[in-house]
Amino acid sequence: MELTPKIKFLGLTFDVTVMIGTVITALLVILFVLLLTRRREMKPRGAQNMMEMVIEFIRGVTNMMLEAKKAEKYLSFAVTIFLFVLIANLLGVIVMVNAEAHGEIPLLGITHEGLQQSHEISWFKSPTSDINVTVAMAFAIALYAHFAGLFKSPRRYFGHYVQPYAWMLPLHIIDELAKPTTHAARLWANIFAGEVLILILRAGTPYLTAVPMFAWIGFSIFVGVIQAYIFTVLAMVYISQKVADDH
Amino acid sequence: MDMSLAVLAGGIMIAFGALAAGIGNGVLFSRYLEGIARQPEAQGKLFGQSMIALGLVEALPIISIAFGILVLFGIIGG
Repeated sequence: MELTPKIKFLGLTFDVTVMIGTVITALLVILFVLLLTRRREMKPRGAQNMMEMVIEFIRGVTNMMLEAKKAEKYLSFAVTIFLFVLIANLLGVIVMVNAEAHGEIPLLGITHEGLQQSHEISWFKSPTSDINVTVAMAFAIALYAHFAGLFKSPRRYFGHYVQPYAWMLPLHIIDELAKPTTHAARLWANIFAGEVLILILRAGTPYLTAVPMFAWIGFSIFVGVIQAYIFTVLAMVYISQKVADDH
Repeated sequence: MDMSLAVLAGGIMIAFGALAAGIGNGVLFSRYLEGIARQPEAQGKLFGQSMIALGLVEALPIISIAFGILVLFGIIGG
């Protein structure tokens, strides 16, 4: 396993690789969207078509969960999540920057114990292959869902915990904790396992691992797209469970 | 923990992850094939839906595999 440079600041540990990854991903999302939406026309062509396709695709997701008028409110949020996760997943397949270190670097938190494990220092990888990023995203979405439900109708929100029977309260609490946990672990584990297998294949003989490598990179692209979609769908499911006015 | 035990634990986690993914995907795609055998015109619709279900089914085994990798490389529980 490769090491990551870490900076300690005010008692917190910052992972430099993750910060570089998230910043580059966010900048790329902004750049893509700006480039694809320049010179908008009523009759779209070229780049604008592509952006409209993405938005229509996500509109299909939000309309599935909520009624059309309310769904429009969450559309931009869902598109942002989708584009961020999609580009983050795909970046790790395309670019991986690893450097080699042979001495200790105290500033970056590269210690002697770490170097015994591995000499490789990762400078760029998928931000979503780090569990902190996905946990932060999933718990932020969960918090948003809870507050949206709470502000909409506190009575209904708290009433939900004792539905249909009061003794189900512990089950509901476990459910609310399990949702963001699996939401985060699902995305992280898929991308992380993919990157580790790429690293393992890279370490082998090229004559033996070239074909599996190509196959796995193709599969990684597929997994990245599917997981970005599923992350968005689940985020909308969790939000709609709290804000929908059904039953 | 003894290092060899950690390796054994990681190996077992990865193995059961693969086993579970095999069973889950087997059930999923056998139903998908049954579906298109009954209604060949629904293939396009079913393919998209089954791919989404694949992403959902794959998640739990791959979480086990990811933690197995972490144990195997001695990052946690070593």
